[in-house]
Amino acid sequence: MQFSTKQSSVVTRDDWNSVTERATTSSSVAKVEDYHVTFTRSGSPVHALRGVNLEVGESEIVALVGESGSGKSVLGLSMLGLLEKTSNTSVTGKVFLQDRDIALASAAEIRRLRREYLGAIFQDPMTSLNPTMRIGKQLGEVTGSKSESVELLQSVGIPEPERRMSAFPFELSGGLRQRVMIAMALAGRPKLIVADEPTTALDVTVQAQILDLIKMSRERFGTSFVLITHDLGVAAMVADRVVVMYGGEVVESGTTKDVLNSAKHPYTRALLASRVTLSGDRHRRIATMSGEAVDSRISVPGCAFEPRCPAAMEICNSTKPHLCQVEDLHDVSCLRYGSQVDDLRLSNGIDSTQMQIRSFTDGGELREGAAVQEIDSSASDAVGKREIMITANDVMVTFKVGSGGSRAMLRALRGASLQVGTGEAVAVVGESGSGKSTLLRAIAGLNTPSSGQIELRAGSKVQMVFQDSGASLTPWMTVEQLLDERLVATGVRDKHERQERILAASDSVGLYRQMLSAKAYQLSGGQRQRAALARSVVVPPEILLCDEPTSALDVSLAAVVLNLISNLRKSLGMTLIFVTHDLAVARVVADRIAVMYLGQFVEVGSTDQVLSDPTHPYTKALLSAVPDSGSTPILLNGDPASPLSVPSGCSFHPRCPSVVGSCSSTEQYLTISPASRGHLVACGVALGGQ
Amino acid sequence: MFKFVLKRIASAVGVVLALTVVLFILQKASNTNPVHAILGPNASAAAVKAETIKLGLNRPLLAQLFSYIGNLLQFNLGTSYRTRRPVSTDLAQYLPATVELALVALLIAVGLGLILGYISIKNGIPAKIFRGVLLVGASTPSYLISFAGLVLLYSHFHVLPATGEAGATQPFQGGFVIFDNLVNGNISGVWDGIVHVTLPALSIALVPAISIGRVFRSSLEATLRSDFVRTARSKGLSDQAVFLRHAIRNSIGPGLTMTGLQLGLMFAGVAVVEDIFAWPGIGYYTTESIPVSDFPAIAGVTLVLGVGYVFINALVDIAQSLADPRVKL
Repeated sequence: MQFSTKQSSVVTRDDWNSVTERATTSSSVAKVEDYHVTFTRSGSPVHALRGVNLEVGESEIVALVGESGSGKSVLGLSMLGLLEKTSNTSVTGKVFLQDRDIALASAAEIRRLRREYLGAIFQDPMTSLNPTMRIGKQLGEVTGSKSESVELLQSVGIPEPERRMSAFPFELSGGLRQRVMIAMALAGRPKLIVADEPTTALDVTVQAQILDLIKMSRERFGTSFVLITHDLGVAAMVADRVVVMYGGEVVESGTTKDVLNSAKHPYTRALLASRVTLSGDRHRRIATMSGEAVDSRISVPGCAFEPRCPAAMEICNSTKPHLCQVEDLHDVSCLRYGSQVDDLRLSNGIDSTQMQIRSFTDGGELREGAAVQEIDSSASDAVGKREIMITANDVMVTFKVGSGGSRAMLRALRGASLQVGTGEAVAVVGESGSGKSTLLRAIAGLNTPSSGQIELRAGSKVQMVFQDSGASLTPWMTVEQLLDERLVATGVRDKHERQERILAASDSVGLYRQMLSAKAYQLSGGQRQRAALARSVVVPPEILLCDEPTSALDVSLAAVVLNLISNLRKSLGMTLIFVTHDLAVARVVADRIAVMYLGQFVEVGSTDQVLSDPTHPYTKALLSAVPDSGSTPILLNGDPASPLSVPSGCSFHPRCPSVVGSCSSTEQYLTISPASRGHLVACGVALGGQ
Repeated sequence: MFKFVLKRIASAVGVVLALTVVLFILQKASNTNPVHAILGPNASAAAVKAETIKLGLNRPLLAQLFSYIGNLLQFNLGTSYRTRRPVSTDLAQYLPATVELALVALLIAVGLGLILGYISIKNGIPAKIFRGVLLVGASTPSYLISFAGLVLLYSHFHVLPATGEAGATQPFQGGFVIFDNLVNGNISGVWDGIVHVTLPALSIALVPAISIGRVFRSSLEATLRSDFVRTARSKGLSDQAVFLRHAIRNSIGPGLTMTGLQLGLMFAGVAVVEDIFAWPGIGYYTTESIPVSDFPAIAGVTLVLGVGYVFINALVDIAQSLADPRVKL
């Protein structure tokens, strides 16, 4: 199978629409029928998939959306014929590829399918490429000729493809690595590519580029994609059709527009509601789902979502719903819909079309019962009115990296200045390598600035909450011991007092008291993050520093933790610095947003100022790259530059869409925007000064 | 690379100095007098005194240490009390046989280790047996393996010789038997050398081979579960291609590290095994020197082994960087 980029004609948008229409009627590329997968783990069965039906049309992009444990990845692996067939796995049902049941195909036949018919893109391009094999050789395994490999690299937008052929994966940036993965998946022009969370490990601006590349590849080569993602926003950006999974079943499927705009299934609605987005009232609590995600060890007679469903009916825990068409091309598996509901409406008098699921917040998530406080409107005012809690003045942090001939200076912070008022919440937003975590660690005293000063208000205590809460809890200690240790360290002698404060702390984070005697590995992800938070606030600090505490969590869980942090901050009157790569998250937790690029702040202002009037070109691009933001992403050139080789002048200039000649030589400093008070921007061009 | 070599030379010097100091302390602590060993039990007090002064053993320990190090700087290892020859001359005679034995043992240890590791990740009965061997073997001392080998392969089956570096037809003992015969094109001589080296080399290599095998096996298992192996499978490569092209090179690192660590153990094994098989190497030389407290001889051997250890670990590091481009020297 030879192909060249020159031969392939560019498909216009209009052609394209006709292709998708055809796809729904013409033969399918892959078909899954009543597919069950059950693993046996330590003696008990784990139901990963419970009767899934799925069809992927020609040159169609289907998004499989669900949280961890929904079975979406197992389904993806099955479609690649990569599900390990061991004695612990039982599979029933059929997967058809090229109209052939792969359960009946020989190993050699499946390998041929993978070579010629299938492609795969996985989440982490660092670990998914062989670290000790050159790019060219890895590509050569699927292309057959060197010229074809170079052409492929070119077609996925890799600059200097000839030179990259002899590079090792670790010599490329994350975005380029994922492009190499895509080039490998596209080799041989497969009919179907399964992409399992292809952008989850990438920065938002790079995510936008990669999603764009996936769309382009489809239009150019007519390849179908199964896009596995936990993020409905990502699905919205590229998919023709969205399939929502929960507990190993498909609960809703329809065109992207239908599923996002008129979701029917209570789970889909809850998922949409708990998404942290750039729209809606940011002072309100984010809607959360009650309870924990489904335990796939338990076989339920009824609907898997019933225990968490706010719209559950009596019959839901005993009767299994199945997928029914409720509208044209829109299927829902819920007893309140479709033909199932017609019978129910007669018997129960419920009109499903009128049914509204207003709120998912009343699930008793936080048992302290604190009413949600509106953020004080003065909170977003300038720092000047408050007492200063943290002052960072022209902080520089430089690390020496490498050894021998490859020794280099990593300039993590290049003169960052920030003032944070008492009780204020500031979000530091930036991509990987921006220095945001270094700043946090410097404030916590874990990094020593090579120049500049950090001053905290005298006597203030600092606590940190990390991204991977599981790893930050000592594995052999119970939660109670972890909390007690903190109290003992601060000199609380009285055992009764310690006990009281431990209970109070665990209540305030919504951790059940029974969990106090558990060790980290016995807790679920959400409970672990609560335990980590409880440890941080058992001795209430004046300053709470959070380093991406939600980025590794499922959407519904992230919402719970964000609410929790906001509540704790208000009830304990803490000053909060929250580091995140996600502007939507920053929006709900922060009074002010400070955007960082390569170790310097490029824009600082109140949350409303930065989000409604983004002024720096980088902030604009960052904002437009947030999935589901409604606007077309501003695609930046290349990857975030490396702090090992900081560009001259304005460090953003090589990627800047509004670059002018002087940008490469003139350094930019935060300047007060003439338009609004307290809004600082480090771009002379944007401020109209140059 | 230049910096790497410089660093390793510096560390070799450090090792030599540290070993010298430790040796002097041990010599003092052992409280033996080489003069009695040299002159015999019937020597007169005057003769003993004269000999003690002649050897400089009446001087303070620190002075002895400094003069030893001073000589060392001129590559002078002193004179053996026992053979009355310069230690360097003795080492030149005995070292090649040991190097040959150690190299063969090293090759066997690495080769056998990789094979053991590979076989033990397979499913089925043979793999289970190998896993059993790995477990039992890891806890068996090398002299037990030597005796078992002697009993089985020499006494019982008569397939391998029990002693020496070469058969009686060979004109010399000591030196590089296999290497020299190879250079001279003497094939039967090479074979003779191989036959003689097999049993002692196996005795030394078996325990390290098992350690290497265990480490290699676990890193192989981890590699086969890794994301890039899944990627390789998704390309439609055969299991064999996935294994050979993607898995082995990425799994070899920990095995090499273990090889470096096992070297110390192998050097210790050399002394015992050379004694058992009457192998004319420095292990044999050392066991002869210890009873007479021949300090210059013992010290010379120890220092040579120390430098050898540093040298081979440097080779291991170079091998690591060849296997994994991310490892920079």
